[in-house]
Amino acid sequence: MSELLRIAGLSVSAEDKELLHGVSLSIGEGETHVIMGHNGAGKSTLGCTVMGSPEYTVTGGKIYFDGEDITELSADKRARLGIFLSFQNPVEIPGITLSEFLRNALEQVTGTRIKLWDFKKKLAAAMELLDMDSAYAERELNVGFSGGEKKKAEILQLLMLRPRLAILDETDSGLDVDAVKTVSKGIEEYRKSVGGSLMIITHNARLLENLSLDRTHILSEGQVVKEGDGALAFEVLENGFEAYVRKDS
Amino acid sequence: MKEKTQIGDIDRSLYDFRYEENEGDFLDSGITPEIISEISDEKNDPDWMREFRQKSLSIYNRTPMVSWGPDISGLDVDRIVTYIRQKSRMNTDWESVPEDIRQTFEKLGIPQAERESLAGVGAQYDSELVYHNVRREVAESGVVYTDLESAMHDPKYAELIRSHFMKLVPPTDHKFAALHGAVWSGGSFVYVPKNVHLDIPLQSYFRLNAKGAGQFEHTLIILEEGSYLHFIEGCSAPKYYEAGLHAGCVELYVGKGATLRYSTIENWSKNMYNLNTKRALVQENGRIEWVSGSFGSHVSYLYPMSILNGHGASAEFTGITFAGEGQNLDTGAKMIHNAPETSSYMNTKSISKSGGISTFRSAVVVNENAAGSKSSVNCESLMLDGISRSDTVPAMDIKTDKCDVGHEARIGRISDEAIFYLTSRGLSEEDARAMIVRGFADNVSKELPLEYAMEMNNLIGLEMHGSIG
Amino acid sequence: MQMEKTMLNILPVPTFSWLGVNGSEHTVKQYETAYISADDGIARLDVQEGSSYKLSVAENQRSTVILYNNSDSSTSFEVNVSAADGSDVKLVEVFDSKAETVTKVRAELGTRARFSLVQLYLGGSGTVSEIAVEQGARSEFTADIAYELRGKDRLDLNLLTEQSGRKSTSRIDVRGVLSGEAFKIFKGTIDFKSGASGAKGEEREDVLMLGGSAVNKTVPLILCAEEDVEGSHGASIGRVDEKQVFYMRSRGIPEDKILALLAQSRTDRVIRLIGDSVTEQRIKASLGRGEEDE
Repeated sequence: MSELLRIAGLSVSAEDKELLHGVSLSIGEGETHVIMGHNGAGKSTLGCTVMGSPEYTVTGGKIYFDGEDITELSADKRARLGIFLSFQNPVEIPGITLSEFLRNALEQVTGTRIKLWDFKKKLAAAMELLDMDSAYAERELNVGFSGGEKKKAEILQLLMLRPRLAILDETDSGLDVDAVKTVSKGIEEYRKSVGGSLMIITHNARLLENLSLDRTHILSEGQVVKEGDGALAFEVLENGFEAYVRKDS
Repeated sequence: MKEKTQIGDIDRSLYDFRYEENEGDFLDSGITPEIISEISDEKNDPDWMREFRQKSLSIYNRTPMVSWGPDISGLDVDRIVTYIRQKSRMNTDWESVPEDIRQTFEKLGIPQAERESLAGVGAQYDSELVYHNVRREVAESGVVYTDLESAMHDPKYAELIRSHFMKLVPPTDHKFAALHGAVWSGGSFVYVPKNVHLDIPLQSYFRLNAKGAGQFEHTLIILEEGSYLHFIEGCSAPKYYEAGLHAGCVELYVGKGATLRYSTIENWSKNMYNLNTKRALVQENGRIEWVSGSFGSHVSYLYPMSILNGHGASAEFTGITFAGEGQNLDTGAKMIHNAPETSSYMNTKSISKSGGISTFRSAVVVNENAAGSKSSVNCESLMLDGISRSDTVPAMDIKTDKCDVGHEARIGRISDEAIFYLTSRGLSEEDARAMIVRGFADNVSKELPLEYAMEMNNLIGLEMHGSIG
Repeated sequence: MQMEKTMLNILPVPTFSWLGVNGSEHTVKQYETAYISADDGIARLDVQEGSSYKLSVAENQRSTVILYNNSDSSTSFEVNVSAADGSDVKLVEVFDSKAETVTKVRAELGTRARFSLVQLYLGGSGTVSEIAVEQGARSEFTADIAYELRGKDRLDLNLLTEQSGRKSTSRIDVRGVLSGEAFKIFKGTIDFKSGASGAKGEEREDVLMLGGSAVNKTVPLILCAEEDVEGSHGASIGRVDEKQVFYMRSRGIPEDKILALLAQSRTDRVIRLIGDSVTEQRIKASLGRGEEDE
């Protein structure tokens, strides 16, 4: 399978502190990878850096997407190439409705202005799949949404924008069992209808259960300390990180 | 920044939506050029200071009263003796201070505190410094801590003082700044050389003691590049029948990369008019930290101003005001962002009780040249009964888009749930209320040296005692 | 028509004079009274120069009045609202004029009366607008105000609500965008009078400054002479939130488009609150923001 994302020797700093020290990994087209590690291991830093967050500064290494060096690209250009990040803590944007926002984003990503009627139809279908009250479409983006509704709104955007690579940053954290099921359903739908690649940041088994995993990467203190196949993710969840994070092993 | 005073009726109703342009009340000074000359003679002023005082007097006489703020019509400047003859010469040995004065300071714990924890003490009894001492090791590091009058005559500092004295707070600033320029007396001069860090605080303790006496002390502090100083100013005055006036002036020059912490607990007697002006000019990456507690006085106007004039300069103001019976305390701070990447932070609490009026008043100005600046203001007010008053009057004046300015304010009372919770654990209602108020004042007490935090807690206890009818 | 010079937009408690926010002098004309009737319905009016509108809403009645000002010449007008006990009044004012405007809303709210004020300022070379509300017991006052100022637009807005009544509530929400050399003052005062026990009031202003040399002055006052009240005010002024920008960029939207969207969002919110499609379309047409294929 051809390579979609390649991270080569990536070092990243924020506020003069180095958080990632030479991380390398690559994700092929249509593959599903899991990133695991303790809190503060650098997982979110990695996800946000691939998306191009201005909070982080790349101090070394490169990021390639579909063969193109995107290390210096702005987030909107990366999004238009087909990268998507489901935020751990989606920001509230007062005054702009979810539907208005999505329609604008869709126009940018696809390069065409979708007919309002068609857009509303698609949006309603996706919201139904995610068990979302259709009233949310006309609410201000993420404003006053519960933790669960915010995560569902992220997955809704994933389904609407149909990216080639989706990075899910702890999309399951803080969700009850039913909400995790709904989110999983959304991710399966994305795999089925778009067939894009997934980079899943989690320390929770539930989200992974119904997915076929290709690769697992374990991060500790800003470095990849262990890699393996999909089964490794479940091993780690069962045995804890300790056995894997020791660098001498 | 120049404060232009406007002509207006200070007794105007607070809520009148219609504006009436009245002639302002001018305070007739009763202070003549001859009186000012006498002060100059007694102080042996250099020529420039003689001129400065006279010029200030004429500015005073033609400057109208402020057109906003609490009523000060009860203040009769005529009757306030602006200068009390010096009761004694300067002393550097505690034992040679006259007995009655020494006892007053003993009661305030000054010499003891000095021996224990303070690097130097300047104590002012009425208008003259009676005691002054700086520990040898502090003096050896090049730090100067003396009274302004002596320093003015010392060839080493004369020019420094001339070039800084009332340059930050010019006599044209407002009426009481002009009065101060004319009759100022006593106060402190502190000079901290480049890269000197004073680990122990310097302290001055001001005290007004004569009937109807005005106090016009001047504090001038200059911090050179990279230095650090914590200066503590404490004020108290016993109660007298006649209304007293305090119109001091504090000018702080914070050099490049230097940090100055300026702490004050004011507990003037409840008949005092406290019209004090404090201002700091902060250079590149310098920092000013104000810690301010206002408990005393009948009327206060107090808004320390920080002028952030160098790239990356910062200011922090932490304050508490407690207005009890017969008090109208108008306090707050002013932050002027005058350079890129500057930041200011204000955190204040005010408490009103037994008919007291507290007003939080502030100004945050972010000028065109202050791109990348940040400012955050947080003020909370607590009403302890239904006969008091608490007003919040902040203003923001923002002239650049490249900034982040935030402001939050809240007003309320002690919740019944909190009282119930504490009384259910065995506290009396009075103790429960006092405890909650102490907790409310925590922002300031935790910034103060221990002995001051304790003094403040005692003051709160005193004010809270008998608070339930 | 008689003219007189008078101080307008006086700050209820004056502050440091050098800030220039204590009030300003303007020429005010004498008004001619005009009565608005909207008993249990909607009235839409174009503002007539020199009018003093009287809107009296009887007990337990419900009225919505929409005033649209798109005059090309300078305009003065005022609205006096009298909301009887239990009534529900909504007043919408759209300021869509490039000329000078001097205006005032006065409202007296009876017991349990509700007054919802919606104001939209779409520029103007000099708008002086004053709002004075007196609240009775258990009355509810909400103000949702948005402005979009550019070029040399000027807006001087002064709002005062006096909460004398027990358990009265107020909520003031002001959002706006400044660009170019626009100049704006917003003074908002919640005044809890003695005896207003159980009253609540909150006030917020959110100002987005978009380039240029715009000047923003925000002066949010809370005056309080009653123990048993809860009051709060907040303000946030300055550039766009970096986190919001990154979020929107990560969905593919370029920065200039994000700024336009965020700017528009301030006014869009208030346009939605008008709740009248006729007026909404009129505003959108004026702003060139029509939905092309709906």
